[in-house]
Amino acid sequence: MAKGAVLASSIPLSFLGGVDPKTGRILDPECECRGKSVSKTVLAFPYGKGSTVGSYSMYQLKILNASPAAIVNTIAEPIVATGAIIAGIPMIDGIDVSLLRTSDKAIVDAESGTLELRNVEEKQVVTNILRHKGKILLLQRSLEVGSYRGLWAGVSGFIEPGEAPKVAAKRELEEEVSLKNARMARSIDPQSFRDGDVVWTVHSFLFDVRDPQVSIDWEHQGYEWVSPEDVGRFPTVPGLQKIVCKLLS
Amino acid sequence: MHLTSKEERILKGEEGFGRQKAIELLVALGDIYGAKRLVPISSAQVSGASFKTVGDAGIKFIEDFSSEAHVSVRASVNPLGMDVLRWRSMGIDERFKEKQMRIVRAYASMGLEPLYSCTPYLAGNRPRAGQHIAWAESSATVFANSVLGALTNREGGPSALAAAVIGKTAEYGLHLIENRLPSVQIDVESIPQGSVPLLGYVVGRIAGNRIPYITNLTLTNDEHKSFGAAMAATSAVSMYLYGRPGVRSKIDTSRIEECVSLPESELKECQDSLSGDDSWDLVAIGCPHCSTQELRRMARTLDGKRPRKDCNVWFCTSRKAYANAPDAVKTLKRFGKVLCDTCMVVAPIEKMFKRTASDSGKAMVYLPTLGKQRATFRTTDQLLEAISR
Repeated sequence: MAKGAVLASSIPLSFLGGVDPKTGRILDPECECRGKSVSKTVLAFPYGKGSTVGSYSMYQLKILNASPAAIVNTIAEPIVATGAIIAGIPMIDGIDVSLLRTSDKAIVDAESGTLELRNVEEKQVVTNILRHKGKILLLQRSLEVGSYRGLWAGVSGFIEPGEAPKVAAKRELEEEVSLKNARMARSIDPQSFRDGDVVWTVHSFLFDVRDPQVSIDWEHQGYEWVSPEDVGRFPTVPGLQKIVCKLLS
Repeated sequence: MHLTSKEERILKGEEGFGRQKAIELLVALGDIYGAKRLVPISSAQVSGASFKTVGDAGIKFIEDFSSEAHVSVRASVNPLGMDVLRWRSMGIDERFKEKQMRIVRAYASMGLEPLYSCTPYLAGNRPRAGQHIAWAESSATVFANSVLGALTNREGGPSALAAAVIGKTAEYGLHLIENRLPSVQIDVESIPQGSVPLLGYVVGRIAGNRIPYITNLTLTNDEHKSFGAAMAATSAVSMYLYGRPGVRSKIDTSRIEECVSLPESELKECQDSLSGDDSWDLVAIGCPHCSTQELRRMARTLDGKRPRKDCNVWFCTSRKAYANAPDAVKTLKRFGKVLCDTCMVVAPIEKMFKRTASDSGKAMVYLPTLGKQRATFRTTDQLLEAISR
């Protein structure tokens, strides 16, 4: 178990040349964390790159007490994995590091391969994309809802505790647009998006509907059937375009 | 990954801290690559032996690890940053020598064979076809896979050391027969005299991370050595397959997705791009280390000639080849230094020279980067002519 503040790099790092082996300061000019020290941080970056000597550099950091408290990678790669083991630095992979922000308060459990962010809340939601004759339904969120007021979205809502995502998806259809028997065409793996101190984990579904007439409730102030490629022209909730793209691909 | 009960015990630390760390590393790498188990190896070749490349961090690690672990299979060590006996005449300073000797002592105490060569297969550690090995030196890895028919990935320094300690390595990549098939075919038109290293250089660039199948390649073992070294330096691939003209090929070509023809003109272009100029501080021959035959052939070429005094010359070789060809060494010594245990790639050459000419395709990759040299390619014969009169 390791604790620390996250230092997040959006680009791959090399411990040989990219990090000062004496101070732990990041030297890579292309890294947004340049000048910051990796020492005692939960260092997050997509994956490692560069010479195998980088493994030894990680060991040197450890000896000089300037090593990260833990390493979080999207994909583990041999040089960093080797360095983490010989230096005894807890390391986990399979984490989408784009969800992490520098200064997040992290707890890394290398045994179970999990990462907990103390300042971040994960919210599980469903979003339903309705399709009719090649067009999809976008709803504009009303000014009375709790989040993303005025932005465009699919038919979405929170998953209730203990509720299966699929059940939540159908419930939202009924509540928000009074649809009872739309045909589910597709679902995709949950997608996560970071917004402030919230990670939205979105379970997305695609439904085919025969009748483009929808009746909206108080949560929305308008709707429009649009071509999927036009989604980018609307101010949407985070990640909607990516979800539409994945659902329709 | 499936571990035997013995391996589980090592992982739990029941056979000591050093062996525990070693197997942890192998298992972690195996997990990354999806290996199902560890496979026994017959030998290891450990890179990361020059103080120049591993630095103080490497010394610290190797020393700490050496107090905890001992090798359990035959394992040899890559070239050092200096000739153990003639470091002073090479121009190595006392401080570098002290640090280098700490690495030498640490490896020796772990039971590693002090071959200090990138050609262990010519210096006493020669695997047989079908044997699994864990070799870290990229040029030796290619030779072992492609010419000797042994099976190895390009290990990193620490993982080769860990494999040497455990006597096993994770079974993935080139340890699996199905991953040893070519996916790019390269038809070589013809190879100008002395250009085999350039061919390797160009083939590596074409191959990228795909195993190449070169349809018509007739090379001596020494030529395979320099070809493979250059290919490994410009690519991420540690194996090639080749066919010889007139011999029916038994190579499975079902996975080939691209065929490339490589005209002689492309080798000439490559040569032009690496041709530099004629002013050098150092002529360096022996990357990979010269074989006994190469030492003898060069001595024959130089026999009866006199050296030019305006240039430093290094012939780099293994101690074994050096001992095998005393007469040739005597001749070559009139023209320059015959160095063992080291080479122009891993010696601290940047402290001594600025412009280096070599006949090695691999050196053309590392001299400008690791060695901070202005590098020039010349064929072996061109270099021998330049250093004699």
